Amino acid sequence: MTRRAVRAWVWVHRWSSLVCTLFALLLCLTGLPLIFKDELGPDLKLAATTAPPGSASVDSMVARALAARPGEVVPYLFYDREHPILKVPTAASMTDDPASFHYQVFDTRTGQQIEIPQPNEGFLYVMTRLHLDLFSGVPGTLFLGFMGLLLVVAIVSGVVLYGPFTRRLAFGVVRTDGSRWRTWLDLHNLLGIVTLAWFGVVSFTGVINTLAAPIELAWQANQLVEMAAQAKPAEIEGQRASTDAVLRDVRAAVPGMNVMTVAFPGTPFATPSHVAIFLTGNTPITSRILKPALADASTGQVVSVRDMPWYATALFMSQPLHFGDYGGLPLKIIWALLDAATIVVLISGLYLWWAKRPRRGGAVEAESSAS
Amino acid sequence: MSALRRQWLWPIALAASTLIGLLAALIGEGGVWRSLCWVALGLPLATIAVCLLRLRNLPPSARQDPIDRL
Repeated sequence: MTRRAVRAWVWVHRWSSLVCTLFALLLCLTGLPLIFKDELGPDLKLAATTAPPGSASVDSMVARALAARPGEVVPYLFYDREHPILKVPTAASMTDDPASFHYQVFDTRTGQQIEIPQPNEGFLYVMTRLHLDLFSGVPGTLFLGFMGLLLVVAIVSGVVLYGPFTRRLAFGVVRTDGSRWRTWLDLHNLLGIVTLAWFGVVSFTGVINTLAAPIELAWQANQLVEMAAQAKPAEIEGQRASTDAVLRDVRAAVPGMNVMTVAFPGTPFATPSHVAIFLTGNTPITSRILKPALADASTGQVVSVRDMPWYATALFMSQPLHFGDYGGLPLKIIWALLDAATIVVLISGLYLWWAKRPRRGGAVEAESSAS
Repeated sequence: MSALRRQWLWPIALAASTLIGLLAALIGEGGVWRSLCWVALGLPLATIAVCLLRLRNLPPSARQDPIDRL
C-alpha cells in the first residue's frame, strides 16, 4: 500500500471512529446487562401444575385484565418464547404508544394471574431504552443506526490498516519495550483483529435492527392491506368472535407453529375488522421469523396466512446474531467477554488518538510504523 | 507470500472460526452444534488470553521475537 493510501485510510478510520466512539461505548456498556436479560429479569414464581401450556381460557384472562383497568382496552396479547405466560397490555386506546401500556401477566396453564413489576420500569428497562433509542423513539433508533453504520466503516478501515501497521510483527506480539503509546497500539490491533468478525456481525445486525420501524411500516402499507383484501369482512354488527376460538382455528390452519402475538382490530398491526395473529416456528432461526395470519373479527375464521416479505425476514434473522441468546448460558458469557474486549478496543482507540493528537504549535506526528 | 501468510493466517482463521460458531448454533439443531458454537467462538477469546499471558511471562528481550510460536 502506498504511503498516501495508508494516510487516507488512517483519516477514514480516525474520523469514523471518533464520531461514533462515545455512542459505540454506550451501546457496548448498556448491551452488557441486556445479554443477561432473562437471568436478571423478574422471577415469575410459576406454580407447579400438570396442565399443558395454553389450556386456560384467554378470553377469561382478557376479561379479568379489563376488569382491573376500567375504561381501558386490550390492543395486543404477547406470548413468551421461554415461559408459559401471556402478557396482557391495557391502554387508553388501540393506537396508544406501547411505552404507555400497563401489563398484566397470566399463567397460560392455569389462568392464574402472576404478580411481577411492570416491564417498562427499572434498571433493565433504562438500559434497553438507552441501547435502543436514547429515550427518543424512532428518530433516536435511526440515529443510533447511523452511528452503527459509522462503526462498521471504522471496523473495515481498521482491518485495512492492520496490514501496514503490523507488517514487521509476528501475530499477537504486544511490544512493551518502547513507549506506552506503542504498547496500547499493539493491544488495540490485537484485540481489534481477533474480535473483528464478532464485532462486525453484531454491529451490522444492530444497524439492521434499527430499521425495524420502517420495515414494519412497509409491511403495514403493502402486505397487511393485501392480506385484508383477500376476504371481505363479515362485519356483523356488534359480534366479536371469542379469542379462544380464533386461536384454535389459527393453530389448526397453521400446525406446528406457536402463537407469539395477537393484534386486535383497530391496532396498527391488524385492520379495523380483522384480528392479526403472528406465529413462529420451533428452531433458533424459525422461532424468530414471524408468520402473520388474519382472522375475521366477527366470525373468527382465518382468511389469510402468508410469509413475511424478504426484508422483514432479514430483520428477524439478524436478531439472534445481535442478541446472542440462541446458544444457552455459555454463549451469553462468550458474548459478554467479546463485548468486554471490544470495549477495550474502543477505549484504547480513544487514548491512541488523544495521546497523538496535534498540539498547538506542534507538528502532526507521522505514522512511523506504517510506510 | 510468507510475510503475508504470517500476518493474515491467524486473523483469517479466527474470523472463519467466529462465523462458523455463530452459524452452528443458529442453523444446527442439537447439543453437538451448540458445543461446536462454544468452542469456535471461544477460540478468539483463548487467543487473547494466550497473547496476554505471553506478554506477562516473557522477559523484555524475548518479546521481539519475529517468529510466531503460538
